[in-house]
Amino acid sequence: MEVSETLAHHILDHDFGVMFGTLHLPITAHTVTMFCISIVLLVMGILMARQGKSGFSRLMHTLGEEYVAFMRDGIVVPGMGAEGKTFVSYFCTLFLFILVSNLAGLIPQMKTITSNIAITGGLALCSGALIVYCGIKFHGVWGFVKTFVPGGTPWWLVPLIFPLEVVSLLIRVCVLAIRLFANMISGHMVLLSLLLIVFIIGQLSKMAGVGTALPAMGLEIAMTLLELLVAFLQAYVFTLLTSIYAGLVIHSH
Amino acid sequence: MRFGPFSPQDQVTVTTLGLEFAVAVALGTGVGFWADRHFDSLPWLTVLGMFAGFALGMYILIKEARRMARQAAPRKEDKKDGSI
Repeated sequence: MEVSETLAHHILDHDFGVMFGTLHLPITAHTVTMFCISIVLLVMGILMARQGKSGFSRLMHTLGEEYVAFMRDGIVVPGMGAEGKTFVSYFCTLFLFILVSNLAGLIPQMKTITSNIAITGGLALCSGALIVYCGIKFHGVWGFVKTFVPGGTPWWLVPLIFPLEVVSLLIRVCVLAIRLFANMISGHMVLLSLLLIVFIIGQLSKMAGVGTALPAMGLEIAMTLLELLVAFLQAYVFTLLTSIYAGLVIHSH
Repeated sequence: MRFGPFSPQDQVTVTTLGLEFAVAVALGTGVGFWADRHFDSLPWLTVLGMFAGFALGMYILIKEARRMARQAAPRKEDKKDGSI
């Protein structure tokens, strides 16, 4: 197998789709992983919400409380102000889902679903919908439309500024999707490329391949640790940026 | 941790500005290319779209810089007064 084929095989999605007559139901590695993540998060959420007497139950409940408090005071309120408190549940779900999705690739046979632009695009669309909903909720439909024209704009510039502002909102949503997707897929490509170096050099000379294995594995471990950091960082940045963009729409005068 | 007069939120926003600029140029070029193929006028609308995307990128950049400067200004004055 060529190097590019090996990379594509490990990074891209695989369709094990089922055919119902002419209807194709695409069951892919990414959708299966996503369902597994959803079930894990659902069970975790139920465990966190329950107030049992056992030590484990109390630990999960305390962890849940700390997590929600961190999301509210560290991300939502600084970005959106007190108005954002009603949306804390969305941000809690978003952060945990992205974090677990980013980390899922480290488990054998599981895939990092955030290295699929369709999934990051879906998440970004949800965030875009939240931004528009915030605008309509706090300003009304006409008030939200008026926020696309900054105060003090001369009337003859409005036909130019209005489309620019609308497109810049669309670009922000695109950036959310591209940023997460690019970070996750590039990290995986680097990890796999470092592994493949050993085999490429091993084909040229077995001794050289053995000699390359040790430094390549050292770099691999370092990059995996960096990937762990990136997984947390990107989940945090995605959530924080969503709150900032929603806050800009809420507080635009 | 705060660097300069800007809030942590502004610092995260700054990291997206480069990508926003790139997406604006790519979007303009893409729309221009699509229009060129539609009207069979290659390469003029692609070039026009690229420049329009560049202008949009600059607009986003300048608007964000002005917003951050406006928000950071009161914090600078607070420091002069000796308050935190």
